[in-house]
Amino acid sequence: MKKKTLLSLAAPAASLGLIAFIVFGATPGMAHKAKHTPEQLKAFEEVFMEQVKIGDLLFHGDAATEKKMGTKLSRTGMACAMCHPFASDNHPYEFPKFQEQINKFSTLRDMINWCIEKPNEGEKLDPDSDAMKALEAYIYWANRGSKLDPGRH
Amino acid sequence: MCKQDQMDKKLVSKTVPPGGDPDRTNGITRRIFLRRSLAAGAVAGAAASGLFPFIQTIDVAYGAEPFRFAWISDTHLYPRTLNTRFVEKAERAVNDVKAMKPAPDFMIFGGDLAQLGDPVELQLGADILKGIRVKKYYIPGEHDWYLDMGAAWEKLFGKPNWTFDHKGVRFIGLDTISRGPDYWSVKKMSPQERMGHMATLDGSVAGPWAGVGKDQLDWLGRTLSDWPKDKPVILFSHNPLYEYYPPWNFWIRDWQEVQEALKPYSNVTNIHGHTHQVLYNEIGRMRSIGMLATSWTWPYAPTGVPKLTTPLVRVDPGDHFDGVGWGNLAVTAAGKVNYEYMMWRKDVFATTKVDSGTGDNDNQILHPRIADLP
Repeated sequence: MKKKTLLSLAAPAASLGLIAFIVFGATPGMAHKAKHTPEQLKAFEEVFMEQVKIGDLLFHGDAATEKKMGTKLSRTGMACAMCHPFASDNHPYEFPKFQEQINKFSTLRDMINWCIEKPNEGEKLDPDSDAMKALEAYIYWANRGSKLDPGRH
Repeated sequence: MCKQDQMDKKLVSKTVPPGGDPDRTNGITRRIFLRRSLAAGAVAGAAASGLFPFIQTIDVAYGAEPFRFAWISDTHLYPRTLNTRFVEKAERAVNDVKAMKPAPDFMIFGGDLAQLGDPVELQLGADILKGIRVKKYYIPGEHDWYLDMGAAWEKLFGKPNWTFDHKGVRFIGLDTISRGPDYWSVKKMSPQERMGHMATLDGSVAGPWAGVGKDQLDWLGRTLSDWPKDKPVILFSHNPLYEYYPPWNFWIRDWQEVQEALKPYSNVTNIHGHTHQVLYNEIGRMRSIGMLATSWTWPYAPTGVPKLTTPLVRVDPGDHFDGVGWGNLAVTAAGKVNYEYMMWRKDVFATTKVDSGTGDNDNQILHPRIADLP
C-alpha cells in the first residue's frame, strides 16, 4: 500500500514550535495576539491533517503505521474501517452519551477503546496517547459537517 | 439536493472516469434512478409500507414445480489461526443448511469466501462447505480474486459465470468482480498490495472495479436468447446490478447496459451479496434482493439506499453472531419466490427510527478517506 511519508512522533511538536514562532515571532513579550496570517492558518491545518492521515491509516489497519505508533488495535484481522467505511456509524457528534455496551456515560475515546478491546480483541490505548488523538482526529474529520447532537442514542 | 448528495455526486464523478470506455460511464444520477425505480415499483406495496414480513414474497410467474435453495456468501475467511469467529459463523450457516428439511435442491455461494484471496483461506472455505452435500454453485467476490487474479479460485470452483435451468427457472451466475481497471501495473504493486487495496471497501485506489463487461454482456444476451420472455430468470451476482453507492462499489459500473439486456424479460430476480445488509429494490421489471453476510454487517451507505428497502435493525457490535446469517429461498408452485433472511436473532427489520440502520443517521455527513490518495 502506497503511503505518504509520516512525520515522526516528534513532528507534531516541531510543527507546533513553528506555529509558536509564526504567532509570536521574535517578540515573545508582545501583549496582544497578532492577527492570523495565511501561513499561520496553513500551519495549523497541516498539523491537523497530519494527524488525520495517521488516524486514517490506523483506522484502516495499516501495519507500518501501527508499528510506528506502537499499537495493537486488533488481533482478529479486523480493522475499524471494516465496520465503519468512511467512519460511518461512528457517530462522534453524539458523544458524550450513555453507551449501552459500556453501560456508563462515555466519551468517544471510551467507545474507541471498547471497539479495540471487544470486537477487535486488541490492546486498548491510553486515552491521551498520540494514537488515540489521531484516531479521534480522523473520525471527527470524516464526519465534519454532521450536526452536533450530544447524548443522542 | 442535500449536502451529502452533492458531495457524493462529486465523489462519483471522481470515481467514474468520464467518457471513453462505455462500461465505465454513468450518466444517470441516483435521484433519477430512484424515481424510475419507484415509478416501476407498483408491485412493491408491501415493501413500501414498511411492514415487511419476515419472509418476503415476490411474484415469479410459471414456477412449474416448488423447490427450495440456499444462499451463503461473504464469509471473508482468514486463515483459522488468525480469526476463528468467521470460521464459526461460516460453520454455523453450513450446519443450518445441512439441517434444512426438506433439503434444498442446491446451494449458491455468492462470493467473498476468502478475505485476502489466500489459497489457504479459499481451501478453508471449500473444506467448510464440503459439509453441504447438495449441488453447490459458486460465483466469485473481489476478495477471492485479486491476489492471484482468480487462479486459486478457478482451480477450486471452475468458471466464474455459468447458467443452468432448474424446474422452469433459468439460473445465471454472473462474474461482476474480475474486470477491474488495472491499478497495479504502473505502480508496480505486489500481489498482496493489489489485494490490500481491493479489500479496502472505502479505498479509492482500486476505482470502479465492479462490472459485467462487454464480453460477458454478450454472453448474457446469448444465454437468454432462447428463453421465453415471460419465464422466470434468477440472476446471481456478487454486486447489486444497479447503482446504489459507487464509492463503495455497491453497484456495477455497466448496470444500465445489463438492465437494457434484461428489459425484454418480465420475470427477473437478482440475488446478490457484497453489501452485507438487508436490501430490496426494483429496477424496471427486475427485482433485486441483497443478502446477509455470515462475517459482519456493513453500515448502510450515506446516500442511495433504495426507498423500497426496509432497513436492517441496528445490531450489537459486541455480539459477533448478530446482524449476520444466510438465505433460505423457495420458488413455489404458485409462482412465488419466498426469501428469508436467516439471521441469528429474532428481529431482522427495524420497526422504529432509533433501531434503524438508516433512520439513526439523520445527522451524519461523511467524507471519503485521504490517506490512500497519491
